[in-house]
Amino acid sequence: MNQRRWLSNFLSVLSPVVLTLLLGGIIITAIGEDPVLTYSVMIQRSLFSYSGILKTLHFAAPLILTGLAIAITFKANIFNMGVEGQAVLGAFFAGVAGFSFTRLPPALHIALCLLAGMAVGVLFALIPAILKARFKVDEMVVTLMLNYVVVEITKYLSQGVYKDPASGYVSTYAIRESAMFKKIFNSDITGFFFISLVVFAIMIVVFKKSKLGYEITAIGLNPEFAEATGMDVRKKILAIMILSGAMSGLAGAGFLMSEKYRYTLDFSGSPGIGWDGMLIALLGGHNPVGIVVAAVFYSALKTGSDYIGLFTNVPKEIVGVIQGILILFLSVRFIDSRFKVLGRVKALVRSHGVSGSGE
Amino acid sequence: MNLLNSILYDTIYHSTPLILAVLGGLFAHKANVLNIGLEGMMLMGAFAATLFVYLTGSLWLGILISILLTLVLGLIFSFFGVTLKSNFIITGLGINIFVQAFSSFILKFMALSNINVSNIISVSALKIELPVIRDIPYLSSLLSGHTAITYLSLILIPVVSIIMFRTKFGVYVRVVGENEEAAKSVGISTVKMRYIAVLIGAVLCALAGANLATERMALFTNGMTSGRGFIAIAAIYCGRAMPVKSTVYALIFGLARSLAINLGLFAGPVSGLFEIVPYLMIVIVLFAVSAFEASHSRIRGFKNG
Repeated sequence: MNQRRWLSNFLSVLSPVVLTLLLGGIIITAIGEDPVLTYSVMIQRSLFSYSGILKTLHFAAPLILTGLAIAITFKANIFNMGVEGQAVLGAFFAGVAGFSFTRLPPALHIALCLLAGMAVGVLFALIPAILKARFKVDEMVVTLMLNYVVVEITKYLSQGVYKDPASGYVSTYAIRESAMFKKIFNSDITGFFFISLVVFAIMIVVFKKSKLGYEITAIGLNPEFAEATGMDVRKKILAIMILSGAMSGLAGAGFLMSEKYRYTLDFSGSPGIGWDGMLIALLGGHNPVGIVVAAVFYSALKTGSDYIGLFTNVPKEIVGVIQGILILFLSVRFIDSRFKVLGRVKALVRSHGVSGSGE
Repeated sequence: MNLLNSILYDTIYHSTPLILAVLGGLFAHKANVLNIGLEGMMLMGAFAATLFVYLTGSLWLGILISILLTLVLGLIFSFFGVTLKSNFIITGLGINIFVQAFSSFILKFMALSNINVSNIISVSALKIELPVIRDIPYLSSLLSGHTAITYLSLILIPVVSIIMFRTKFGVYVRVVGENEEAAKSVGISTVKMRYIAVLIGAVLCALAGANLATERMALFTNGMTSGRGFIAIAAIYCGRAMPVKSTVYALIFGLARSLAINLGLFAGPVSGLFEIVPYLMIVIVLFAVSAFEASHSRIRGFKNG
């Protein structure tokens, strides 16, 4: 029984992925390129070599964190779209801490920067959290708006007080050597990946074993009932958003300190690491283990996409297109993970077939 | 133009895409389909309109094609959201991310950093001066010298209001949203009503995008809608999906942007920070509206929605 359920879960994740890659292939064919070549370059470069795998894991680290940050709120039915903004703002201020402090021992400096990023992420997540918990303001619109506020604030600061005049484009100063995560194993991977794994382990405990994990599920299923059983739903919303903000801030901070080293206007990419986290949380079914698998999968696509330009004329933006289509397909699965979608399509075909023959 | 005149003019100028998206989004909202894909639909309208003006050399053909393509997007949204009963929020998000990525994908493929059609259409020639109003001080800057789609959006406010409250279709849409079972029991096709509601939103969002990119700037840049679709959703929320009330909120948000831009000119080095005013303003207005409603609620404890 359990095995069958596992299989159906696996298929309900695999089928959207296959469908999406097919559609992506059609788009690639439509612009006159070879989809098989494109995909095989992507996968070979990111998964079929030692350095490729480590690079994939390196880029998966922030995605694991943003995926977890979104999953914890979505599971409680809080539509927190602010992970992108929290991650970017966290990264920015981790960067500020990274170049402002001098002559600190590396371990201390790194810890300080990560804490700065997390603190900023938490503070910024508290705005929608308090508004929702206290005044029932719709969290989705607020977080979406605050993302744009972050874009403008970081743009203003990096063009003004923190602008590195030595840089040819808009960018802050680079962080000090002591705040950088060192590359290890002679590859791209850094200690930040292991930090993300530690957070992942903590989140397994939170999701599966803790009281909070149970409460998150209960609130997600029915907040009124949760309240009626005596849970303080307001406090839980704050707790969930604080955790989410901390992980988002950490994701941004770590990404800056292990990869970018300075804040630029295109720091987060397009779509940003927070939006990637949305896909990863959905693909992973809001389950920590699923999220890690999804993050590695998506990171492989992203890492591989950097190389497709060398062999084909396919722009690397194809990954964003794939991401959008995949989210569309996963939106159907989000409600029920069983085979009901197929049943609905069949019913639709049947009803249309009947009405069609009547006309 | 002095400061007040340009604030008045810019208010209408910046409200137009919001008003269109609000009026389009109302129907879906009333039919209980939360469509956050408005943002992506507007971006699609902006992208397709400018791209096809660039390719065909004709403004109206470009706008027509952009409406058709955005309708396809609306059909995709309805197919997932209504027929397959997906989670609307996730579907809308997928639409938004897809359009954003797809437009930058096509731009990259065409080796363009933006689409500039100012050699095909002249922005100043598209502005229409109204005969009598143009001579009345202040009113002229408010109402005269706008583009065709802007006037259309203003005309649509009463039209949408009438459709919503005085026609059979409007009643059906509202019944579907308020009580789906009741609608079914009297033979209203809830699926059909929701499809139509979403598709109306798609058409108006296409126009909003065409206004934003083609008609007033003759330029498309990546992600240029920058949250206007979400702002429209906020306006719909605040106005409880009433056409006139929601439009008023759209105008307030347009005013916020107009003030931010016009007053920012005097702010010197901090003018960049004025860009956040419209977004913060929406958070504050949402907060005020929700806090007001919460203070009238007698429900103890936490209640969702």
